[in-house]
Order: sequence, then structure tokens, then C-alpha cells
Amino acid sequence: MSEKELGKKWDRCLADGVTKLGTGLGLGIVFSVLFFKRRTWPITLFSGAGLGMAYANCQNDLRSHYLLHRSEKEQ
Amino acid sequence: MAARIWPLVKLATKVTIAGGAVYVACDSGLLGSSEQGSEALEKAKAAVPPALQDWMKYFGLEAQLPTMPKIEFSPVNSWNAGVRWTISSLSEAPTRASEYTNQGLQYVKDLIK
Repeated sequence: MSEKELGKKWDRCLADGVTKLGTGLGLGIVFSVLFFKRRTWPITLFSGAGLGMAYANCQNDLRSHYLLHRSEKEQ
Repeated sequence: MAARIWPLVKLATKVTIAGGAVYVACDSGLLGSSEQGSEALEKAKAAVPPALQDWMKYFGLEAQLPTMPKIEFSPVNSWNAGVRWTISSLSEAPTRASEYTNQGLQYVKDLIK
């Protein structure tokens, strides 16, 4: 993986992390206010889930360069 | 009769709002892959100035802020510049330290003479 490509992947990872954290926070606030009497745990749960999704995406993205993909296997 | 339906109506409203929020989040690609997330961010960034303009017109503040000043600040560049400065000063530190010690010793020797 060239350094430029790696840099772009890390940029995407960070942006994705921020996006998913924000989305999780927003959804957590919505659910906490509507269903769980404004407690804190849904907010932390959803934010954590968002961060976890971003982590998994980043992991897949960084690993994809070293994996054999289906289109190459057919050859 | 109304007393029995009202809690149901409240629950239905809450479920609709929560479901709508989840649907909007999933549909706009906020919960998808990294590329979709960055696409959504770009769309949001592009949509903010026109939305701001509309809001300002609505409140009649258009005369006060004619155009948003183009802020040329890039956090990425500042961070990278900071990292480069730190590493370069760390790598030059031993040389500079020995230089300063030599200069200090020379100064003291001159004083003693």
C-alpha cells in the first residue's frame, strides 16, 4: 500500500469515526429522551456502538489491501 | 375511552419519532461504509451555507453578515505542521544541546581568563 493510499485510508477512518460517534450520540439522545426517562446509559451505549462500527469499518478497510478478493480468485 | 387510548397514542408517536430517526440515519449512509460516511459529510458541508443563508434571510439579519468570510484554516495542515516541527526539534535537540554546552563552557573559560 503506498503512503498516499494509507494516508487517505486513515483520513477516511477518522472522518468515519467522527460521523458514527455523532450519529450514535444523536440516536442515543433521541432514545434516551423518548423511552428511557433521560438516563445516561442509552447515550453511552449508542455512542459506543457507533465507535465500534467505525472501528470495524477501519479494520476492514486497512486489511482489504492484503486480502484476496473474489474477483481475483476467479482467474 | 380517551384515557385508555392516550398512552397508546403517546407510545405510537414516540416509536414513530425514534423509527424515523433511525431510518434517516441508515438511509443517508451514516451507518454504512467509510466511503458512504465521507459522502454524507461532504453533502452536509455543502448544504450548510445555503441553509445558513435561508435562516439569516428568515430572521432578517441578511444585512449584517453579507458573506461568510472564507476561513483558510485547515486543522489537518496545522496538525501536520505541528508534528513535523516537534519531530525536527527532537532530532536537532542533541546537536543543539552540545553546541550550547560548548558555548557555555567557552564563556566560562573566557570569564576565568
